[in-house]
Amino acid sequence: MTINDIPPGVVLLVAAAILPFVSGKARWVVALAAPIIAMADGWVAISDAWAADAAGSARYISQWQFMGLTLRPVFVHAPTAVFATIFCLMVAGGSLYALNQNRRFELAAAMVYAGGALGCVFSGDLISLFVFWEIMTLGSTTILWCARTEGSYRAGLRYFALHAVGGVLLLAGIALHVGQLVGQGHPDPLAFTHYSQMVEGWTSFGWHNAGLWLMLVGMLVNAGAPPFSAWIGDAYPEATESGTVFLSAFTTKTAVFTLMVAFAGVEVLVYLGLWMAVYGIIYAILENDMRRILAYSIVNQVGFMLVGIGVGTKLSIDGAAAHAFAHIVYKALLMMSAGSVLYATGRRKCTQLGGLYRTMPITMWCGIIGALAISSFPLTSGFTTKSMILTGITEQAGAMAIAGQSHDHLIAAWFILEAASAGVFLHAGIKFPWFVFFNKDSGLRPADPPWNMRAAMILFAGLCLMLGMFPGPLYAILPYAAEAADYANVIYNFEYLLSMLALLLFSGLAFFVLLPLLKRSETLTLDTDWLYRRFFPRLWKDVLMPIVRGLEAAQKVVLENLPGKPLSGEPRSPLARLGTEWAVSVPVFVISAMLLIYLLMYFVILPNG
Amino acid sequence: MKLDDPRVIKWLWAAGLLVLAVIIGLDWLIHHHAHFPRDGITIDTLPEFFPFFGFASCFLMVLVSKALGIALSRKDTFYDDQ
Repeated sequence: MTINDIPPGVVLLVAAAILPFVSGKARWVVALAAPIIAMADGWVAISDAWAADAAGSARYISQWQFMGLTLRPVFVHAPTAVFATIFCLMVAGGSLYALNQNRRFELAAAMVYAGGALGCVFSGDLISLFVFWEIMTLGSTTILWCARTEGSYRAGLRYFALHAVGGVLLLAGIALHVGQLVGQGHPDPLAFTHYSQMVEGWTSFGWHNAGLWLMLVGMLVNAGAPPFSAWIGDAYPEATESGTVFLSAFTTKTAVFTLMVAFAGVEVLVYLGLWMAVYGIIYAILENDMRRILAYSIVNQVGFMLVGIGVGTKLSIDGAAAHAFAHIVYKALLMMSAGSVLYATGRRKCTQLGGLYRTMPITMWCGIIGALAISSFPLTSGFTTKSMILTGITEQAGAMAIAGQSHDHLIAAWFILEAASAGVFLHAGIKFPWFVFFNKDSGLRPADPPWNMRAAMILFAGLCLMLGMFPGPLYAILPYAAEAADYANVIYNFEYLLSMLALLLFSGLAFFVLLPLLKRSETLTLDTDWLYRRFFPRLWKDVLMPIVRGLEAAQKVVLENLPGKPLSGEPRSPLARLGTEWAVSVPVFVISAMLLIYLLMYFVILPNG
Repeated sequence: MKLDDPRVIKWLWAAGLLVLAVIIGLDWLIHHHAHFPRDGITIDTLPEFFPFFGFASCFLMVLVSKALGIALSRKDTFYDDQ
């Protein structure tokens, strides 16, 4: 076993096991060293894979044989480099931001969560993928519960339930798919790879690809695709100020990664992505909670990525990967800025905030830089990444026009995403800073947060600007670096700059013209979560429960008229023991033990004997 | 910053409108390439397409969300009684 056999995600899981038991300086060292070590470990694997590619030899794989399964927990997919890098950066930045709080388990939970995400990114087989996928769910639910409020407890339960359903769909899909491949005598049934049969056959629902469809839906739950978009806005704003920073980064982007690996080019992703891009804006416009505004804009941004994946050309996939990288940075920055406001004021509603520019200049400027970056303003990270997706769409439309294929959906996608780009500036770019830092004076005069939170924000703000001005290093680690390098030569041209500025600034004009309509009110907006928060509980309580209660009387009548005597109080014959109640635990234990022994015999003892 | 001063606000509005005017002016002057030249779509080559599209799409999205809000908005204590 060498360093190449240690999955980078496991490094973070080890750190998570240590963190609750250390304090003071040791806690800082563990929290900041873990992402650096994980990054180094990951890059050893990535550079080995690239070297193997260059030499034309078989791609680097760490392969484990486990109970007859071939596992590859350290595998480098085309988008692994870009996602692994940003995940580790995010853990470092998020830890720096979180280190002054004294909640014992939150940072450890964040490491579990990030470890799961990083594990998925290096998973070369479906078993590893599923295990890390579920670790992610456990970590993120724990982060939510670390807020220790009634709201976070309930939101955590809903979050966990929904992701458990998503995980089960994924698992069922994997089981079905792998089972079919085994039946066909496939040499490598567990491989987590691109399923090209879904690209041509995405409109066909049949038994032969039912497993892949289930996997797709399981991943889409985590991506926040409709009808599962509500969980993002429901759960994320309930975590602590540092918890939300972590949550905003990993779940949706890991789903983007897995969709990119497995389902690039599947057309339905284009439509789902377009829906998400618009949904995020509409709901964010109506929202009052500052971090819920930002949560809705995650859905909106992931929508852009899904469109890029669905279009499925090299440039559009590069765009989606680059945008995920940039998005994690500026979204974390925005959540840090909003978190600092929450930390300093204890308030989360726009209606109770405003005018904070006076005393929180660093939080404000960092928030504004994040807001400009999410709006893809020139010279910020959003500009150099989102534009790649849009160019990917126009290029693919041109190619399909030459080939005589129908491509109306791409034309529609381009116009809708341009409109959504304008809408991003409206709902996140201006609305968030405006209502929190400007607008009316709330009378609050809080100071900027402690130095570590300021440092994390400044670091990420700098990264937003750097990626906007010098995108070269990011482009170099994209899945298709050659296409990205070509693209780097054309991105900053005057016509495009002017178009983008015009689109954004006139969107800004629309904001101020419509300001009376955008006035905040203390409301929430119903979403599909209404079904499981209100409809089904009420259905149970007000309809089904009374019916069951009504049947109780009938049941009583039947039971009372059964022949025979009660068992208790009878004199006991030796055989009467069989008629008394037994604890279920003993037989369950015996059966489990027998199954375990059988399993060990089958896999361990028999093959050697 | 002295954003409480109405003169500063007035000055900011003037500067903002000036920037918008410059953009409108430049947009008349430069030549826009079509994004879908093989499909005969030329609307995106018209002068002032992007300023108009940015403004109009935001206007529309705000109206749609307000309309949706009438049906779907509830007091933010709506779920609190569980």
